[in-house]
Amino acid sequence: MREIVFLVAAGIFVTALLGVAAYFLLRARRISRNAWSAMLGRLKQIDRDKFTTVALDLLEEEGVLQEHLDPEMIFEMIGGMKGLDALEANCDVLVDLATYVQQWYPEALLLAEGLRLNAREIKWHIGRLRGAAKTGHMQEQFPMYAQRAVATYYLMTRSLLVLYEGVRLPELAELRHAI
Amino acid sequence: MNLTGVDNLLWALSFIGHWILLAVLVLRRRAGFFPVFTALISFNIVRTIMLFFTLRLGSRESYFYVYWTLAIVDVGFQLAIAYELASKVFRPVGSWVPDVRRSFLVIAVASVAVAGGMTWLAAPPATTLQTAIVIRGDFFASALMSEVFVAMVALSVTLGLPWRTHVARLAQGLGVFSIYGIFTGAAHSYLAADPVVQSFRLLSRARIVLYLGCIAYWSVTLARKEPEPRKMPEQLRDELRRLQGRAALILKSLRTLGSAS
Repeated sequence: MREIVFLVAAGIFVTALLGVAAYFLLRARRISRNAWSAMLGRLKQIDRDKFTTVALDLLEEEGVLQEHLDPEMIFEMIGGMKGLDALEANCDVLVDLATYVQQWYPEALLLAEGLRLNAREIKWHIGRLRGAAKTGHMQEQFPMYAQRAVATYYLMTRSLLVLYEGVRLPELAELRHAI
Repeated sequence: MNLTGVDNLLWALSFIGHWILLAVLVLRRRAGFFPVFTALISFNIVRTIMLFFTLRLGSRESYFYVYWTLAIVDVGFQLAIAYELASKVFRPVGSWVPDVRRSFLVIAVASVAVAGGMTWLAAPPATTLQTAIVIRGDFFASALMSEVFVAMVALSVTLGLPWRTHVARLAQGLGVFSIYGIFTGAAHSYLAADPVVQSFRLLSRARIVLYLGCIAYWSVTLARKEPEPRKMPEQLRDELRRLQGRAALILKSLRTLGSAS
């Protein structure tokens, strides 16, 4: 009886190992084949110009804006929580876009990890805003939180563009258009 | 233990194969990059010589003790190789990817537990305690190594970490050999593990043939050049650091806001 139990357990064990290995190897192959178009396809639609304006309002880049945006305008320009939901989803894509470069430039790992940490923190703050929305305090907290999240997202996109441009990847033009 | 012509041939091929692989590692300057793997191959050459003379000059008991002692060293080497390969994959720029070391440790502990549980379940119909230990030990090592290699693949794909060509080829060979080791270990536990039993001999020979295949695969792939990873310009690294620094400042102000509200 024990032999049978052992053989069944060993069969399940080997099948599970092979299954997990096959799943991840196929996933890796799929990523390397369709990575680029698939990643760009995951980007959610945001109004890039408005997001940039909101970000630069905080980052105070010289000569871009003289007056600061008022909170209502920030809410409107970002598109409320829907805009932040899209930003949250796009953060993951930005991390993957940095990871994509690692196959040629292992040092891109440092940026990918940096973006991963940024994304994690942005998501945490967006989560807080969702909590505030439930208690009816979102309207007052939204502009401060959201503008900083958008500014960080903007810097993440800038970092990616700088990376792609710096290593002269042919995908740069498409990336510029997408983010 | 009586060895047939086929056994002697496989033994000789394995011995020659190890010398060829060692020559490739040294002459193509791969030994410095894979010191543990090189040490294992050297160890296997010494092991073959020791077992050869122990079999011819020593008793059955002395052969068992030498075989088993060397097998323990072999398992230690295999675990060290898993660490060596993991350090190449998860430490691409000199330091470990955050969280990976802890994940790897958790995986290693879980792997030992699962392999231990499976080994405990095995009930080899061995006639002596020594044979039972060999069968269980062999099965444990194969199960453990298979788990560690599969976990490494899963972790690296999840993190998007690429494998350098030579590292990937070594891991592929070791992974396939370990998974086949589970088959033979399980079969040995179910069937009799006596060298005079035909099924035992067939399985053991098939395993040696597979290992010879691995040696040939490693010799060819390690002899070839792998694409060198490219370096990012210093100016680009500075610019990325500057942008990340700015993002860190914004996030810090977000944290301040969060703690104030």
